[in-house]
Parts: sequence; C-alpha cells; structure tokens
Amino acid sequence: MSLDLFWRYAPSLVSGFAVTIVCWSVGGALGLFLGFAITLMNRLRFPPLNWLLRGFIEIFRGTPFLMQLFLIYAGGPAIGLRLGATTAGIVGLGLYSSAYFAEIFRAGFASVPVGQIEAAASVGMAPFDTLIRVTLPGALIAAVPSIVNMLIVLSKETVVLSIITVPELMYQVQTMAAETFTAFSAIFAMAVFYWLLVETVSRLGARLEARVTGFLAREEAPA
Amino acid sequence: MSGPMIELAGVSKSFGAHQVLRGVDLSVGRSEVVCLIGPSGSGKSTLLRCVNFLEPYDSGEVRIEGRLIGFEEAENGARRPMNARKLRDMRREIGMVFQHFNLWPHMTALGNVAEPLRRVRGLDAREAAERAGAMLARVGLAAKAGAYPSRLSGGQQQRVAIARALAMQPRLMLFDEPTSALDPELVGEVLEVMKSLAAEGMTMLIVTHEMGFAAHVAGSIAFIDEGRIIDSGPPAHVFHDSPEPRVRQFLQTYHDRNAF
Repeated sequence: MSLDLFWRYAPSLVSGFAVTIVCWSVGGALGLFLGFAITLMNRLRFPPLNWLLRGFIEIFRGTPFLMQLFLIYAGGPAIGLRLGATTAGIVGLGLYSSAYFAEIFRAGFASVPVGQIEAAASVGMAPFDTLIRVTLPGALIAAVPSIVNMLIVLSKETVVLSIITVPELMYQVQTMAAETFTAFSAIFAMAVFYWLLVETVSRLGARLEARVTGFLAREEAPA
Repeated sequence: MSGPMIELAGVSKSFGAHQVLRGVDLSVGRSEVVCLIGPSGSGKSTLLRCVNFLEPYDSGEVRIEGRLIGFEEAENGARRPMNARKLRDMRREIGMVFQHFNLWPHMTALGNVAEPLRRVRGLDAREAAERAGAMLARVGLAAKAGAYPSRLSGGQQQRVAIARALAMQPRLMLFDEPTSALDPELVGEVLEVMKSLAAEGMTMLIVTHEMGFAAHVAGSIAFIDEGRIIDSGPPAHVFHDSPEPRVRQFLQTYHDRNAF
C-alpha cells in the first residue's frame, strides 16, 4: 500500500470520520435522553404506559439495527416521514440505543439500596428531593460503566449507516476501496480511525467513572 | 399536651399469609426509653417501623402525641390513607436510626447531616452546614465532617446516622438494632451516644439485642414473641422476675451464650 493513496483520500476519510463522530454523538445523546425519559416514565407505574414502553424496548432490542434503519429511511415516507440519510441514521441510532439505555438506567435505579430511600423517607424528604438527591445520583453512578460500554458499541454500529448512503467513514472507505481496488489499505485506514475513537471514548469513560465513584475511595471531600 | 409520646393499640400486620404483629399495645411516655427485645423474627423491627409508618400496619392505631399516623379518620369512623404531605410532616418529627446506617454514600458525613436540613427544614447551605457540624461534634465526629461514609468505620457511620436524625430536632427517636451490624469493639461508642441522648431526656424506642444496655438505660422493657408483647415492665422485672417461660428461656440462652 502506498502512503500516497492515503494522502489522496485523506480529505474524504477525515470528512467520513467527522460524519461518523457527529452521527455517533448526536445519536448517542438522543438515545441517552430517550432512554432516560423511558426509565422515568416507567417509574410512574401507569400500566398502559408501562406496556407501551415495554413493547418499544422489546422491538428495538429484539430486531436487527439494519432492519430498523431501513424501516425509518425507506419505510418512513409511507407514513409521511421523509428524512435525509444522515438524519434517518441519527434517529435510528437514537431509537435503537434508547432501548438499551433505558434498561441500563432501570438497572441503575434498581441498584440503589432501598435503605437509602427509607432514610430519606424517615426524615420526611419529599419524593422529588429524594429522586434528585438520593436515588438519581446513586442510579447514575451505578450506570456509568454500562453507559460507556454502550457508547462504544454504538460507535461501531455507525458503520451500518453506510448502507443507507450516509457519507460516514465506512461509506468513504468503501468508495476508496472501489475506486482504487485497495480494499486492505482502505479498511486498514478505517481500523485506525475506529481505534482512535474507541480508545478516546474508553479513556474518557474511565476518567468519568473514577470521578463519579471517587467518594468510594477518596479520603476527604474537595474543599 | 400531656399523654404518652407514642401509643400503640391493637396494632396488627401481615405479610401475605404470615401475621407478623398480632394486636400490639404499647405506650411510651415523654422522655421515656423503651427497649423492645425478643427472638429474631418476632416482629420487633416491623413494630418499630410501624411507628413512623415506614411499614403500613393493617389494623389498630399508632398515635404520636395523640395523632394517628398513616391514616386519616373520617367522621363515620372509617379511615383512609394519610395525605403524603401530612405523613412527611409527622415523620420529620420522628428520628430513625437503622441497623445498616443507610447513609447516602455519595455525600460526606457533613453532607449526610446537612441534606435533610436543607431539603426538609429549608435551611440555607451555610446554616445547614453549621448545624450539621455542631451535630457531628455532638457525636464526636467533628474531625470526620469531610469524610465519605466508605472511609468511616461502622461505629462512625452509625454515629453520623444518629447525627443526621438528631439534626432534625425530632420529638422522639426510633432505633432499629443500631449496633447489630457493628464489630463488637465498635458497639460501645454508639451506645455511649445513645446513653447521653437518654440522659438529655430524649424519648427513645429501641429494638436491641444489647441486654446490658437495655438493663441500664431503659425505663421499661417490652418482650415480643410471635407478634405479641408477652411481658413488659421495668428491666428488673423482665430480666429477673418474669413469670413468662418464653422470656426466661430467651434470657437464659442469652446469659449462657455470653458467659465465659
């Protein structure tokens, strides 16, 4: 493989990488937001809503992401939903990951010992204060490792968006491979970019985790 | 207002088919210290938890300074569950200390004590921190104000939990086996704090297995077995003159185990 080739395709590879990062981060943020909303709505314990959300989670966890993506992009117009490829891709990533994030947040809430909530009840703390000050911090802290993990998984799911012609990294790499008959070089370039992305995310995740669980190890609170 | 601080009449409670409390009557006067003792599974903790309605009771009455907790009485004698806000208002006057401390692990010792002051009593951050600091000093932990619970011993955590309850300036305190989760050598520091509270005139209802503490500090002892109080009275009576074979047997076992 020639370095020359990389230089020639560098702009499209970098732009593909940028699109990947945008799709991943916006889709991930959407998924986190929706997943959190689902978990909170489920906590209202309103049966019809619970069934509806349960169904949503089962569908988006139980079917292939590619199928969901086709449904949104190709099937969307049938219900009047016309989305560009990139928008459809981001919406797809958001819906798909929200089902997983909802389960992660649910597990986070379930991990908060009931005694901590009873302690809040025993001093007469209102439900909202208990949620904000006791339950939520505990749930989020417990959820951080799983959230980081899911974000890493999601970063790799973005390659599927190339199939609906989102000009992300995989799409650019395939173009490069097709135009130059250098499949290996192109895929090697992609591997480097992904390694860079995943490594960055997991390092940031590890720092975040150390930060939010610092109280388990730290001797004194910061002044 | 006179009358007892806590009054239980015919309190019953079932978990499914299992009846845990079978019509308990108990009265705790102002500044009185009452210890609930009895075998495991006898319903002691459930009874204590009914007093601040953490455990809803099925029938009977629990009154705090004459006021029914957990239910509201209609004119026709029927009763319905109490409005949540009113229940919270009653609970803030009842301090509770748990077997497993139940501190909030993401807050420092000071944060744990200050939090209810801010959220429930509405104090601003500075006032809350000041009062919380004073309460930590009161239980001998002024130096640990900035420490997270994970860095404290069990005895220190329990003292923080006592400070948290005490900071709310409750009218009475409930203790649910406060020393049962502690290493034996850490029990003393918690009991000392409780003794000093009793000496200051705090009304206390305590579920405990610390018979020595109960004998010395309690004004009266209630022995619970299978959901009923089968004997009660001053420590000297329950510990030495109880006519109940079940009580004598329990105390004998206890005595044997601790003799060496």
